[in-house]
Amino acid sequence: MPVIRFITVRLLQAILVTMAVTLFVAFAIRLTGDPVVMMVSEASNVTEEDLARIRESLGLNQPFLMQYYDFIKSLVTGDLGDSFFRGPVWDLIAVAMPATLLLAATSMLVSILISIPLGIYSAVHKGGLADQVIRVLSLVGLSFPNFWLGIMLVLVFSITFPIFPASGYTGLASLVLPAVTIGIILTATNVRLVRTTMLEILSAQYVMVARAKGLSERKVIYKHALRNGAIALVTFMGLQFGNLIGGLVVVELVFNWPGMGTLSVEAIAQRDYPLLQATVSILAIMIVGVNLAVDLIYGLIDPRIRVA
Amino acid sequence: MTSFLTSLLGQLPRRSVALAAALAVLPVVAPGQAEAQSVLTVAQSRDPQNLDPIDTFRVAWGSVASNIFEGLILRNEDLELEPGLATSWEFLDDDTRIRFHLREGVVFHNGEPFNAEAVQYTFERLLGEAGAAGPQRANYTSIDSIEVVDEQTVDFLMNQPDPVLITKLAGYGAMIVPPQYIEEVGEEAFDMHPVGTGPFQVVEYTPTVGLQLARFDGYWNGEAQVDEVNIRFIPEAATRMSELLSGGVDISLDIETNSVETIRNAGNVGLVTVDGPSVTILRFHINEGITQDPRVRRAITMAIDRPTIIEAMLGGLASPIASAQGAGSFGYDMALEPYPFDPEGARALLAEAGVAPRTEITLDMNNSNDTFREISQVIAAYLQAVGLELNIRSHETSVYFNDILANGRTGEMYLFGWGGWTFDFDNTAYLLYHTGERNNPYIDDAHLNALLDLERSTYDRDVREQALQDVAAYANENALDLPLYNTATLYGVNERVQGFVPAPDSRMRYMNISVE
Repeated sequence: MPVIRFITVRLLQAILVTMAVTLFVAFAIRLTGDPVVMMVSEASNVTEEDLARIRESLGLNQPFLMQYYDFIKSLVTGDLGDSFFRGPVWDLIAVAMPATLLLAATSMLVSILISIPLGIYSAVHKGGLADQVIRVLSLVGLSFPNFWLGIMLVLVFSITFPIFPASGYTGLASLVLPAVTIGIILTATNVRLVRTTMLEILSAQYVMVARAKGLSERKVIYKHALRNGAIALVTFMGLQFGNLIGGLVVVELVFNWPGMGTLSVEAIAQRDYPLLQATVSILAIMIVGVNLAVDLIYGLIDPRIRVA
Repeated sequence: MTSFLTSLLGQLPRRSVALAAALAVLPVVAPGQAEAQSVLTVAQSRDPQNLDPIDTFRVAWGSVASNIFEGLILRNEDLELEPGLATSWEFLDDDTRIRFHLREGVVFHNGEPFNAEAVQYTFERLLGEAGAAGPQRANYTSIDSIEVVDEQTVDFLMNQPDPVLITKLAGYGAMIVPPQYIEEVGEEAFDMHPVGTGPFQVVEYTPTVGLQLARFDGYWNGEAQVDEVNIRFIPEAATRMSELLSGGVDISLDIETNSVETIRNAGNVGLVTVDGPSVTILRFHINEGITQDPRVRRAITMAIDRPTIIEAMLGGLASPIASAQGAGSFGYDMALEPYPFDPEGARALLAEAGVAPRTEITLDMNNSNDTFREISQVIAAYLQAVGLELNIRSHETSVYFNDILANGRTGEMYLFGWGGWTFDFDNTAYLLYHTGERNNPYIDDAHLNALLDLERSTYDRDVREQALQDVAAYANENALDLPLYNTATLYGVNERVQGFVPAPDSRMRYMNISVE
């Protein structure tokens, strides 16, 4: 049963990657600083005994492997434990995760809605003026740092023309600017991808056959070419998910979006071990999960890929 | 692990359903709400993270908590101590017993009465097991025990004199908490949804997002002007500015100096400043390198034109200082003058100390302060003019405090900023100069220890003031540090807002503010 073997191997790899990420994060964060020092950084009159007492109450006097074991246990049971500074980790994730998923999905959608029509148009009118313009614009888009683009959009659409809120989550309107920021950045890559994929397919023999049959250009492009190109596009966009999450961290900060990126950055600054371990591990599991799903779907569709 | 991962993968479709439901899950403030009720919206850079008074020492907590909680003593915006939940107090038995007479008719937001038991519970909790896990307890260990005399009278028995105790009772860990409520809901629930006696009660606290407060109608001392206060946590300075300029928030705390021009040029927003407690100083490694020599330390101090830095880099929103405290601090000595800007004199002192031209020295700093990053470049230029090459090493904040500073691994100079909220030089001087303090890796001086021990052990204000002034004079004489400036606390306020009184200590009180 090669399918089962393929799935098992992929699943084991995914577990191994996740374990490695959790171990690395838990280990690395402990090398860089003591959360208790951060906790009392604005306090005076704190003695070494006070520090020791706080450390003990947080379980920081336990050996590393013991702390790691507790963390893995909390991850597997889904309890996630308590943050050092701010109550149960699960309560924080429960607010941040939907916010991040919402932003990620909307950005993806924005990007797909822009990049597919533009990419197809560009490919069909290869070498024309529109194609040149689209290609130059996508290059410009690729060169934008996302935080800069975000600040510019705020300047125009929140301050000069107060249409959208500048930050936070206060209803659907506040989703627009952050989603467009990430959407534009993703579009820059995706337009080029759609264009290249379509160009390749449009020169394939079955497209020539379709045209020879006398099908309308519309049918040739949307029914024959785009459908065949979709597999590659979906796969690539799935793999893009990891980059998307990375980009989200910065954009969330700019727009004060209450998501996983903001939460992780704060956890790093404070050395909030339980919170950072949880956020990074969950993001890693998501990325590994999406990649695994793409692999599996791809493997199922195309038998040639099954042999890992 | 396998089963966990499979179950997680199994949930993937459900996650996309959750995505669609995300709108419902996220806290949404409908724009229509603002019209029905008067709402004051405030931005501050940080989240208090935990609202329980004994679990935190964040300024971000102080900025919100004075609206929810009260102490026995109240410190007003002019930094004067007034009766709070105690109407009066007296020192008895050779100052070993402090008797507080409590205010009658005060209730907590849940209806629970405020009385002597609540005071006793508050301090036994702070000094007991619950307090031991947090950073507040250390400030109140001079209290030995609390005795309830009657319903409205309570005695603090002291195990050592604590001249700053009355001030400390106005802040942070000493906020009075409700015994029945905490016993009912538990410690964890109290962290997120506390109850106090203040003019506003907590409606909802959403970590990293914001805190919503509503007017408490049963408040003993008047009535808040607005129905609700919506406090938003916005860490990015540029984003806070965007919200302030676009009218998304009425008041923004934590304004950075480099935003001052933008606010001054904006039509609908004003800048409000007040002398704050924050000082920025450079400290010297007095045990190694050329800075062992007091003449070199004095030369470095004289080489830097501090008034020009304040004018050019800080928009004039800071004051020159001769010690690590602002003019509003108890122990400040008007007669103590900062070293003048004198590059000639600095060169002469360096030559006298045998320092060769182009000698390299290192300044360590943390990277979280944008304004200071620019100023450090200016300092390097000033030092170059007297023949010293400054290397600037910038560190991530946690690494800086945990490793570089705590382990005494700094270069010849290092950056230190502090704002003692008590406005009593004791708060800053002790941690800078007393042997064995965490933030004092190098100074071990019997004279300074004796002065600091003296000012901590007496209630005599004159003796204390003299001792604190002596500490500052001694530090100045030996150039132990280079006091740069005392920055103002800055607020950006929309013209809609009426009755805004700036708090020098960032402990905002929103009760008397209204929004047009």
